[in-house]
Amino acid sequence: MAAMTRRERILAATRQERADRLPFIHWWRHMQTGWAERECRNRGMGLAWVRPSHVTRMRNVVVTEEKDPSRGPGVVRITYSTPKGSVYVDEKREPGTGEWHANRSWLDVTPWHLKRLIREPQDYEVVQYIVENTEYLSDPFPIEQAKEWVGDEGVVLAILPKTPMARMMIEWIGSEEGRFYIHHKKYRDRIDALYQALSKNMEALYEITAKSPADYVWIGENMEGLLVSPPLFEKYFIPEYEKCCRIIHGHGKKVAFHMDGRLNVLKNLIAQTPIDIIEAFHPPPMGDLPLDEALRVWKDKVIWVGFPGAIYSLGTQAVKEYTLNLLRAAVPGERLVIAMSTENLVSNEHLIALTSIFEKADLPLTEEKIEKIRKALT
Amino acid sequence: MTGEAAYLSALKEGLLEMDYDKMKKAAEEAMAAGVDPLKAVTEALSPAMGIIGGKFQSGEYYLPELIVAGDVMKEGMKIIGPYLRGKSKEPGQKLVIAAVEGDNHDIGKNIVGTLLSARGFEIIDLGVDVPARKIVGAIKEHRPVILGLSALLTVTMPKMGEVIQALKEEGLRDSVKVIIGGTSVTPEFARRIGADHSSTDAADGVEKCVQWVSSGKGG
Repeated sequence: MAAMTRRERILAATRQERADRLPFIHWWRHMQTGWAERECRNRGMGLAWVRPSHVTRMRNVVVTEEKDPSRGPGVVRITYSTPKGSVYVDEKREPGTGEWHANRSWLDVTPWHLKRLIREPQDYEVVQYIVENTEYLSDPFPIEQAKEWVGDEGVVLAILPKTPMARMMIEWIGSEEGRFYIHHKKYRDRIDALYQALSKNMEALYEITAKSPADYVWIGENMEGLLVSPPLFEKYFIPEYEKCCRIIHGHGKKVAFHMDGRLNVLKNLIAQTPIDIIEAFHPPPMGDLPLDEALRVWKDKVIWVGFPGAIYSLGTQAVKEYTLNLLRAAVPGERLVIAMSTENLVSNEHLIALTSIFEKADLPLTEEKIEKIRKALT
Repeated sequence: MTGEAAYLSALKEGLLEMDYDKMKKAAEEAMAAGVDPLKAVTEALSPAMGIIGGKFQSGEYYLPELIVAGDVMKEGMKIIGPYLRGKSKEPGQKLVIAAVEGDNHDIGKNIVGTLLSARGFEIIDLGVDVPARKIVGAIKEHRPVILGLSALLTVTMPKMGEVIQALKEEGLRDSVKVIIGGTSVTPEFARRIGADHSSTDAADGVEKCVQWVSSGKGG
């Protein structure tokens, strides 16, 4: 039987069928295009690309950007002016932002907000106006183009913004100095009204993305169990995940949620959700849920592991040992895709080291096969 | 319950219930009634915060409760604080804490700071994205027993090593224990950069600081 293509391996694992080999991928946005990346792809590494399938338009909202050196180097103030008033964010853009992959700096850091969109109670009304006057239009071209380019080398995912409460917590209100939690205590009615408006607004976007030609839908949720307590997850996240998945599943597509934080405290609640793919799952030491336990708890889900960046700081030998242990935890290796990183730049040496292991990971994995791989490395 | 005990109890209740209005009313009434502000802090607010910190560490409470409780306590301190001026309050052991340059993630740092406050430490929080020279300046100025450095991103972790190097160059390294925190830090990394301890877990970090101070091993 002919070997599967890289794409076929990812699709099979994500359909919960057995691939011939463990699918391993590199995300385009984290990839060092060059000799090592080409060599690893020749040896079986797949590609995953995230692109939008929509464009966003705001009615009656004027957006201006201003660079004032007095606010610090690389700081851009983005102001949103509406008939209800205006709000702004101060965004710090490190060198390289906008010149490389997506919106990332040379060091692979996305811009961070020095001042958040929502800081005062009166900001909620303005932001709710913006939400209620935001519309989405289908634009399949970025996905069609990427699919044509990627071909049998990998998969293309259609990006969606974070779900409403994640967006409010992480992007708009922020957790600095505990602001989100303090607002949630003091201004609950405003938070809930904005959440409801955003949830309603997102329905059209779920529909557009579900109909796109992408292989999967991807939501950059950045779920972190420390920030999102179980009561918050139950109240604000599960209902939205149910709605989102209902709409997207209705068009035969699976949804991947970027959950790269500590998930142990949420594992049983996540198991109750209709999420298909837990993407960027980080086993210890960066996460707090071992891979074998995650596979056991989330029996109906597929896990796309994000290789923990902290391991890369320990050197190549540690990387190899960790990877072999990861395979041992994954036996027999089903419902699993491994990404070289979802966070930082991987050195060429480490990329080759991982590939030298994964290229030999025929499925089903067994202890004997892993031992054979280990011996081949020495 | 005597008059003073009733006021202290009301303060404690306001904090344990995380109720801003109750806290404000209890603090105003206690100060108007002439309750010793030191007692208000040491016999009502600090023990209540200790209970909340304990519930967080045992998993009964989560981050939202911890953060809100800290904020409710601040609300009370806004009222009680001015009455403390001139009173001889024994300062706690000083601890300087900061997220290193390039890193603006403050949740982990804030949790540790809140829990250590509840354990009697005096926290000097330098904030986020703090350059090494500013941290060194704070060590010179405040002479803390412990320095806590936080970094969430793997790309900013090396900055922790730069801070320790700067402390060495200024002859300050032996004057202070250094603990590093963040989801990516490991004991190996701590050893490599010359930190005294690494922690990915707030409770572990807090216990280590308490242990250092109890055993007289602070800087």
